[in-house]
Amino acid sequence: MKGFAPKWRDVPHFIIGITKEIWEDRNIGSLRRRYAPGLVVRSPASVVVDSSGVIAATMATLAEFPDRELLGEDVIWCDDPEGATATSDAYLSSHRLICTATHSHPGLYGPPTGRRVSYRILADCAIREDAVYDEWLVRDQSAIVEQLGFDVVEWTRDLIAREGGPDRCVKPMTPANDVAGPYKRRGNGNEWGQRYADSISRIMSADLNVIPTHYDRAVNLFYPGGQVISGWSAADNFWMGLRAAFPSASFTIDHVIGRDDPLMPPRAALRWSLHGKHTGWGRFGTPTGAEVYVMGMCQAEYGPFAEHGAPSIRREYALIDETAIWKQILLQTGAHA
Amino acid sequence: MKGFDAQFTDLPDYILKITKEIWEDRGLTTLHRYYAPDLPMRFPSGIVTGNRGVIDGTLATLAEFPDRQLLGEDVIWSGDEDAGFLSSHRLVTTGTHTGHGAFGKPTGRRFTIRAIADCAAKNNAIYDEWLIRDAGGIVRQLGMKPKRFARDQIKAEGGPEKASRPFHPADDIPGGYTSRGNDNEWGTRLADILTRIMDKDFTVIRADYDRAVRTEHPGAKGGWGWDFVETEWMRLRSSFPTAKFEIHHQIGRSDPAQPPRAAVRWSLTGTHSGFGAFGKPTGTEVHVMGITHAEFGPFGYGGAGLRREFTLWDEIAIWKQIHLHTGACS
Repeated sequence: MKGFAPKWRDVPHFIIGITKEIWEDRNIGSLRRRYAPGLVVRSPASVVVDSSGVIAATMATLAEFPDRELLGEDVIWCDDPEGATATSDAYLSSHRLICTATHSHPGLYGPPTGRRVSYRILADCAIREDAVYDEWLVRDQSAIVEQLGFDVVEWTRDLIAREGGPDRCVKPMTPANDVAGPYKRRGNGNEWGQRYADSISRIMSADLNVIPTHYDRAVNLFYPGGQVISGWSAADNFWMGLRAAFPSASFTIDHVIGRDDPLMPPRAALRWSLHGKHTGWGRFGTPTGAEVYVMGMCQAEYGPFAEHGAPSIRREYALIDETAIWKQILLQTGAHA
Repeated sequence: MKGFDAQFTDLPDYILKITKEIWEDRGLTTLHRYYAPDLPMRFPSGIVTGNRGVIDGTLATLAEFPDRQLLGEDVIWSGDEDAGFLSSHRLVTTGTHTGHGAFGKPTGRRFTIRAIADCAAKNNAIYDEWLIRDAGGIVRQLGMKPKRFARDQIKAEGGPEKASRPFHPADDIPGGYTSRGNDNEWGTRLADILTRIMDKDFTVIRADYDRAVRTEHPGAKGGWGWDFVETEWMRLRSSFPTAKFEIHHQIGRSDPAQPPRAAVRWSLTGTHSGFGAFGKPTGTEVHVMGITHAEFGPFGYGGAGLRREFTLWDEIAIWKQIHLHTGACS
C-alpha cells in the first residue's frame, strides 16, 4: 500500500477504518484530507462536488440520525495500476455496508419519527495517496422511507415541495449533470466478475432463463426496500419488474470486479446503469414515458451447489435508489404537485 | 461413495438430490429405500421412529401445504462411508397454507422459514436423524402467536394428559450413530463461541463476531450487527439461566468456493426460572434442542470473524413444555 499511512494493512482495512474514523468517530473535518480536492460523489439522488459538499451532507445526516452506525459487510476491490502515481498505489474499492440509526431529530426525512432504520449502502471509491479521489454511491433510500412509515411516491413528491418545487429541488443524477472524474477504469478481469457481468447482462437482455442455471436454488437475495428473500422466483421478480419498467432503456455495465480471497467465497461487484424511457408496466407503475437514469450497484457471492458442482450465485445484494427514479418520473410528468 | 448409488458424486449431492426426490418430486415411497425401517427421528416436538411414520407425516404436511418447496442452502458434513456420514443440512422452506392440518384451518397465507436436519447416512440410507423446523416462524407468518398456538395444540391433541410430549433426552432411542463430529478448527471455534455465550460471557460477541454479522434466528427473525444477535441469545439464556448446556455434535469445514463454516448441535436442559423470551418464570423443566450453523470471514480481531449465523430452536415445543407443566392449557 505505497502512499497510504502505514497503519493500514490492506484495502479493506483502510476503507473500513476511515469509514469508522470519519462517520462514526466524528472526525468529519478529516474529509478535507481524506477526500481529494474537487472530488465528485455521484449518487442517484444528486451529484456532489468537493469535500465541502460531503461534509455538509454528513453533518445534516448526523444531525437527524445522531446514533448512526456503519457496519462494513464486505470490501470487494481491485488494483488500479493506471491510476497509480510516482508516490502512491491506486485501488478501486466496492464497499457494502449496513447502516443502523434512530430517526430522532428533524431533517431531510421530516419531523423525527423516533423509528429505528437499517438499510444498505454500496459505495465505489477510487483511492490513492491515503485519500478517496472519485466516488459512486447507492443508498437504499426506499428502505429508509418505508421504515419511517412513509409511502415512497408520496414521500418523494413531498420532498420535491420541501426542496422548493420542481425548479429549485435537488436534481437526480443523469448523464447530463454528471461530472467526469479522474477514475475511468472498468475494474479487473477476474473470472468471477466476468461471470456475474454476463449473468446480469443476459437478464437485462430479457434472457431470464439464466436465473435457474446461474443462481443457486436457495439463493439469499437482499434487494431494494430492505427486502431479504430467497429463491429463483424472487430473483426473477426483482429483475423482471425493473427491466419491464424500462424495456427499451440502454443497459451498460460500467464497472466489474471479481475476487477469490482466503476465508471468503468467490465474489463479484458490479456497477451498471439503465438509461431510457419509462415505457413499460413494472416496478414503477403506469408507464409515463419519462426519461430515467438508473444507477445500480450489486454484489454477489458464489458457491458450489449448481448441477455437477458448477458455481452459482448463493447471495446477491442489489441496490437502486427508488426515490431518485420516482423523482425523475414525477418531475417530468408534472405529477409532483 | 462406497455403498451409495453411483449417481451421487458426494454427500452434499446425495442429500440435496434425495431431498428433492422424496419431498418435492413426491417420491414418498422411496423413503422405504432411503430411510431405514426403524430410524429414530428426533424433532423438538417429539421422537418418531420408523420410515412409515415419516411417510405419513410428509403426506400430512403436503396435504396442508401442497406447494411446499425445500431449498437446500448448505450441507455441512463429517464422517465417511465406514463410520457413517453426518450431514447437517440447512434449508429454506416455503409454502402456502391451503389445507387443513397441524396449523389449523387454511389461512391462505404464505410462509418462508428455515429448517436444519442432521442426518446420519450409510449404504445409501438415512439411519439416524435430528431435525429442527422453525415452527414459530410458520405460526407467526400464518397470523398466530406461538404461546397461544402451543396451548391450542394441546387442546387439539386431547388435553394435557393425552397431548404428545415434546422431546426429552429421557425418551431418546439410540439409532446407531455415535460420532461427535470432526475436530476441524472452525467447528471448535463455533463450539467455543456457543459455550462462552452459555457461560454468560457475552464479551465473546463483540470479540468473535463480525461487526456486520447477519443472524437468522427462530421466529423467522433476522438482523444485522452485534446488538441483534446478543439480544437473541440473552433472551434465550435468561429464560433458562441455570439449565445445563451440552454440545452433542460439531463439524467444521473448509471447502473450495465456500467460506470456512461450522455446524453445532446443542441442547439446554433445566428449569424455566428466568425472564426472557418465554414470559414470567414458571419453574418448568425444559429441554431445548438447538442447531447452529456459521460462516466465518476475514474481518475481525485476529483475522477472522463470524459473518453469518443461522440458529434454530423450536419455540412451539418450548411453550408446549411450559403449558403442560403449568396447566395453563386446561
